[in-house]
Parts: sequence; C-alpha cells; structure tokens
Amino acid sequence: MRGVLNGLVAETSRTTIVDLEAGLEHLSRGTARHVDTLLIIGEPYFKSLETASRSFALAKDLGIKQIRMVANKVRTPRDEETVRDFASRHGLPVEGVVPFDDAVLAADERGEALIEYQPAAPSVAAIRRLADGVLNGRR
Amino acid sequence: MKVAIAGKGGSGKTTIAGTLARVMADRGQRVVAIDDDSNPNLALTVGAGTAASGAPGIPRDLLEERTDAEGNKRLELSIPAEDFIDRFGVPVRDNLTLLIMGQPNHGGSG
Repeated sequence: MRGVLNGLVAETSRTTIVDLEAGLEHLSRGTARHVDTLLIIGEPYFKSLETASRSFALAKDLGIKQIRMVANKVRTPRDEETVRDFASRHGLPVEGVVPFDDAVLAADERGEALIEYQPAAPSVAAIRRLADGVLNGRR
Repeated sequence: MKVAIAGKGGSGKTTIAGTLARVMADRGQRVVAIDDDSNPNLALTVGAGTAASGAPGIPRDLLEERTDAEGNKRLELSIPAEDFIDRFGVPVRDNLTLLIMGQPNHGGSG
C-alpha cells in the first residue's frame, strides 16, 4: 500500500496527519519527500529515547525537512530534563512535552476520543501548543 | 501542511495524532487524518467512534497495479486523491475526514 499512501500525501491539498506504522522502515522516500514535518514520539526513559534517536537518523536519511521530537507521558520535571538532555546531545529538536495524564487512560477505557472526553485535560492543552509550534514552523 | 507521526507501540503516538488532527480541524483547516498503522486506533482518538474502525478495505477498483523503473509492482490510486478521500474517507467533522489504509478489499475476485 506504499504507492497509495505516497499518492495521497503527494496530491492532496488538505492538511494531512499520518499516523505511521510503528517503525519508519516502511516509509518510502516518495512519501517522505512530501512530508513537511515528522514528529517522533518518545517517552522519558532510555530505551524509548534510543529508539527515537534511531528514527531521527533514519528520517534524516529519508530527507524529511523538519524532524521534531515530542516527549509524551512526562510525569516530573526530572523526566522533562532527561528528555531535553538526551535530545540536545543528539541534535534532536524538542517540539513538545505532553504530560502523563490519567484522562488519556480514562478516555481509552471508555472508548472515547480524549478531546471529547476532557477537552481541557493537560495533555490536550499540550497538544494544542504542539499544533501552534508545528504550524509556526511552516513559516 | 503535512505531518507524519512515528513512535513505538504504546508511546501514545495515536492519541497525539488523533488529537492533533482535531485541534487543526477546530482551527478551520481542512484535514485528512490517515491511519497507516496495522493496528488501527486512529478512528477512536480522532472521535469517529468505534463504527469507523470496522471500515472495509479499500475497494480494489480504486487501485491499479503499476510497475516502477526497477520492475517492482505496486498498487497506486487509479483516481485523483481528493476523489479517493471523498469516496473512501469516513467523515468525522465538516472539515475532518478519516482514512483507514488497511488492506485492499479484493472481494470475490481472489
């Protein structure tokens, strides 16, 4: 289905959000060429950050213009520091920090969209700020 | 603006993708959210409910097999992307459409 995704991303004039398969290995150069921004989601522990840095290297090889990391499930200031230290050592810009949020689990348990279950949840607020950053990066 | 989101399973990638799509649509942009994951959950996080997660595969007649310069065969869209999104996408909001890539639906053609 690579050709189909490639065609969609290349041709559509709509704002496009693609939830990729877990790895970047399946992302073709053809599709990558049309992606303005890649967000790599990482959690604040070593293995997850290592995976993020591997994805970063792969995404650079694919020629994606803007590659950003988003830290998710951040519980403490120390968590955030861990992510920021790691990212700066690897030259990986951090675009957003999304806090650990019970609302995410609760929405999932109820089978509801997070933004409908609790539109003012801290995690939703962080994703709104992320949207601002991503849209501003277009300038 | 075209944004792709990557991360390990369990990283919260899909929650962020779905919520981001909703936020951008709420700001008046015309958005298509594409679920390329083999375990599709984007329907839920984007607010399309559970009905959309059972969406059928892409109709085979909207795809055609082409052979690239290296002789690899691959499926491509046989109609313009916008038409494809209108026909196959699941409307979530006036300006937000969900597309579940999944696998092509071969029907009885084997």
